[in-house]
Amino acid sequence: MLEANGLMVFYENMLALNNVSIRCDENQIVGVFGANSAGKSTLMYTLSGIIEDIRKKEEMAGGERISVLGNITYLGNEIMGLKPSKRAKNGIVLCPERRRIFKECNVLENLRIGGYLATPAQAKDTLEYVFKVFPALEKLQKRIGGFLSGGEQQMLAIGRALMAQPKLLLLDEPLLGLSPLMQVVLVRATKEIRDEKGVSIIITEQYARPVLPIVDYAFILENGAAVLEGTRDELMNNPDVRSAYFGI
Amino acid sequence: MQILIYGTINSVALALFALGFALVYGVSRLPNFAHGALYVLGGFITWTFVNSLGLNYLVSIILALVANGIIGALIYQFVLIRIRGMEISEIIASYAMGLAILEGLRWGGFKGMTYMLPAFIEGSTEIAGVPVDYQRLLVVGIGAAVVTILWLFTHYTRVGLALRGVAQDERAAMMLGIDSDRMALAAMGFGSMLAAMAAIVLLPLGSIVVEAGYNVLILAIAVCIVGGLGSWMGAVLAAFIIGFAQILTVVYLGAHYQMVVALSAIIITLILRPSGLFGRQKELEERV
Repeated sequence: MLEANGLMVFYENMLALNNVSIRCDENQIVGVFGANSAGKSTLMYTLSGIIEDIRKKEEMAGGERISVLGNITYLGNEIMGLKPSKRAKNGIVLCPERRRIFKECNVLENLRIGGYLATPAQAKDTLEYVFKVFPALEKLQKRIGGFLSGGEQQMLAIGRALMAQPKLLLLDEPLLGLSPLMQVVLVRATKEIRDEKGVSIIITEQYARPVLPIVDYAFILENGAAVLEGTRDELMNNPDVRSAYFGI
Repeated sequence: MQILIYGTINSVALALFALGFALVYGVSRLPNFAHGALYVLGGFITWTFVNSLGLNYLVSIILALVANGIIGALIYQFVLIRIRGMEISEIIASYAMGLAILEGLRWGGFKGMTYMLPAFIEGSTEIAGVPVDYQRLLVVGIGAAVVTILWLFTHYTRVGLALRGVAQDERAAMMLGIDSDRMALAAMGFGSMLAAMAAIVLLPLGSIVVEAGYNVLILAIAVCIVGGLGSWMGAVLAAFIIGFAQILTVVYLGAHYQMVVALSAIIITLILRPSGLFGRQKELEERV
């Protein structure tokens, strides 16, 4: 479904992604694990096209020079250089790190802004689906986004991304700063979304253990390079990986 | 009573000046210093349609709104888009566009006190013993309608909601497929239409003069700073505060202090509460 080859991202002279190649097949959940500054968010920005916007703004303001190299094939088309809104239209929707919900809008408005690309019928169906996956949100419809708890905000962020009718959902550190209980809820919901909606998902995390049970295939990033990849079981049985990322 | 009635009318007028500016700034963080010029331009376009082309007044108004919206959008598309994100350049370029429009109009012969738009309804009435002409009542009515329509638009329509999304977090909106450049273009178009709307409603009260452009810009900025830059509800509230303060100074101190009020409101706000009544400075994103 999506195949990225030889991605290189430079922030001025700093190498943020070093020759990273990853792929995600139809209906797969792919994990990307790595520590802080390993390049997870940069990878997500590169896949979703946000990097193009950052690059453009930096260039206009005379700031950091950002170069992006490599190619990304999505559903058979090269999408490198495409605007983020175009990519979202094609079905690549990013649910960003630290959620970035619209804090002054209430929950329902957040979801309806997310439904910008959806037809009215799709929006209605997806809204029902979001409330089915996250029943907690249904009661909070009129609550202002900024007053939600971290877990509720994350549910809202994922729900909002679903409203944009993704074919490939990019979840950037969805479990960040959440309680173990909330983590379980979100991991279960992620699997449910894949199973029921047939959405492919790329999910990044620092700490692999909570996510690992639902992941089909995973990559490990270190200092901007993909140092290891494999199926869930392969990684589980690798002793280095176990101690470094799974905390087993 | 007189203070109450004229205060309200003046406040609504200020709100009409400021809403277009607040809309553009709210969506694209672009301080549109051509706002006052677009206001005057809207007035002259309407005047031209009515007097030179001899069109029906209502038709002229609609055409002028559309034309002004298109001009605003063109200014964005061909000038401002190139310097997005560079605040000083945005101010300089938009102010330069404003100057070009205003002085261009003056150069084109639109000067003096001879240009007037007809009132929608002639005549006047009395409210609780205070004479008020119908046009001023109409200002209040249309002002209220504009605020209501803007509120409904930004809360219930797809594009309106998307505009609010971009205003709060441009990149998060992009991730959802909203083209922020196109939204900024739309905001600038709507903002210019609002400027023309204000001109068409308010100008029949006096004559169309180029100099009004500069005053309108200062008033719009004052209202937006007091209300909090980017906050639409704040702008409406601030319009009432400044509007009443102006009328009170006119009654108790004299008419020539009117402009001082707006400017001192800017200064006081910046000293006491720099982000304005409802504004918020974007807090630094916490790193996790």
